[in-house]
Amino acid sequence: MTAEQFVIDDRENNLFRVNREAFTSEDVLQRERKEIFGKTWLYVGHESEIPGKNDFQTRDVGGRPVIFNRDRNGDVRVLLNTCLHRGSSVCRHSSGNAKIFTCFYHGWAYRNSGELVNVPGNEDYKSEPAAVYKGLKSPAQVDSYRGLYFVNFDPDAPDLLTFLGEARYFIDLAADQSPEGVAILEGTHKYSLKANWKLLVENSIDGYHAKSVHHTYFEMMMELGATPPMLGQDTVNGVAPAGMGTEFPNGHATLMYPANGLPLATDSVKRTLAGLRAQAEQAFGENYANAMFGLARNSVFFPSLILIDLSFGLTLRTFYPVSASETLVTGWQIIPKGVDEEFVKYRINNALTFWGPAGLATPDDVEALEQAQKGFGARGEIGWSDVSKGMGKPVPAANDELQMRSWWREWNRRITGEQLPTEGTSFVPFDKQGVDA
Amino acid sequence: MTSLSETPSITTRSAVEEFLFHEAALIDRWRLEEWLDLFTLDCTYEVPATDRPDADPGLTWSLIHDGRTMLEQRVIRLKKPEAHAEFPHSQTSRIVGNVQILDETDESISVTANFIINRAKAGKFDTYVGRYDYDLVPRNSSFMIRRKRAVLAHDMLDPQGKISFII
Ligand code: FES
Ligand SMILES: [Fe+2]
Repeated sequence: MTAEQFVIDDRENNLFRVNREAFTSEDVLQRERKEIFGKTWLYVGHESEIPGKNDFQTRDVGGRPVIFNRDRNGDVRVLLNTCLHRGSSVCRHSSGNAKIFTCFYHGWAYRNSGELVNVPGNEDYKSEPAAVYKGLKSPAQVDSYRGLYFVNFDPDAPDLLTFLGEARYFIDLAADQSPEGVAILEGTHKYSLKANWKLLVENSIDGYHAKSVHHTYFEMMMELGATPPMLGQDTVNGVAPAGMGTEFPNGHATLMYPANGLPLATDSVKRTLAGLRAQAEQAFGENYANAMFGLARNSVFFPSLILIDLSFGLTLRTFYPVSASETLVTGWQIIPKGVDEEFVKYRINNALTFWGPAGLATPDDVEALEQAQKGFGARGEIGWSDVSKGMGKPVPAANDELQMRSWWREWNRRITGEQLPTEGTSFVPFDKQGVDA
Repeated sequence: MTSLSETPSITTRSAVEEFLFHEAALIDRWRLEEWLDLFTLDCTYEVPATDRPDADPGLTWSLIHDGRTMLEQRVIRLKKPEAHAEFPHSQTSRIVGNVQILDETDESISVTANFIINRAKAGKFDTYVGRYDYDLVPRNSSFMIRRKRAVLAHDMLDPQGKISFII
């Protein structure tokens, strides 16, 4: 393919358009596999999912099967789950505890730190496989931030902290919610959608669709005595009730708005929450605690790690394309450590009403994305999608589309090499002094 | 648990089956208010995560863990045209079988059954399979549901994608 244009970024008229071919073309997907999933930092898992020595989880990350594990010394590893002999998976369980991974095809066995330690019929080889092949490969780079592990298949990519930049403060706002740290709850939401993965990126940071798609959810909230998002009165840390969108280098972006009332919270739940807030105030100051517990936030970390804190729940999701029109999603729930069982139950019950394949909101999102994908069938006649909302505003609101434009500019840079200027400045909703320390 | 020899079963499987078939028909016909009336006020309706089928849906990141209030809200929502994933409604056809009475006390009986649900929507067919666990309370020569738990025999929701109807 030559010099086709995927993004029109018209600053004069404040119009931003995305070529619908980007959502349907298998050729574009091949380029994404190489330029995006082959070169950016991709989320693998959280340390709490492998708490003990020899614990493992198997995952598919950017199309590569990996084992995310702790070896017998307790060190976290990411191993490519493919036998050096002739390719079979060396681990076929979704999670467990194992010191050795034995490939069932011909029986080559690997220690959970990767070394090839047993080859049946070893004596038949003139050059011993263990000496020739050493052990299971790892991605070129593995690194973590606040317990979140990432891999990068490009040895030349800038390090994780540089890549995350200021956007990492939004990971801090989640990770600091308890002095004991946070953990991923057991149980995952794993589901597919018949739509391009970039539609789910857009949807995850799209405040504009909330009223129309999640109308029934908001009605339910109001019936239960809680204020739906963006309909409150308060300004929190300079973020107005309508909220705001903000962008960061490398395609990360966040939208935020004052947090809403909590549906069905009991006194004990409110006490636990107040306790967490008081501890955060003490440790980091009021301003930071306000941002943490007084603002709702949807963040995307390029390309496809999403962290959403709607105060009644804190969800993490990542997703990778199966084909141009199919995406596999994995969703988790994050919980502050050390809280009582009633609080855990409350968070689960509330979060479940919104998120997940059986929630009262997520299926409607999926429906919208699948309908959009279907609509792209007419891309010969209508070739472009519009992502202009709020463009040119000094402070775009949460239901504007700055977040998506920022993400698309990075996507465009990586796919076409064309560098488009950002729209504005990055904004972090708290005073960073003292937080870094 | 009372052993079956001490308390001989007075409930016949066919009575339980009749009740479960009735429930299935109400859902398939989208008569959801009537379906809701089958539940006690202290009921739960649960679907565990596909990777934690045996875990407590109240303490894990399960798919559904509704008490009475949320169950009512779920039904109210599903009847609205703005429940986009289900408008127009999907068509479901469910087969409930392998019904077994596992235990019986004066107050309640515990029942397990298998299900196959075929769902048709927008030219596509999806199949959901699994096991139901029920706690049923005898009431007016039939039963009410105190607990319904649908354990999916799927390792993930692919290709089904979502559970936007009553499972
Ligand atoms: S492919 Fe693994 S031992 Fe042969
Ligand atoms: Fe949504």
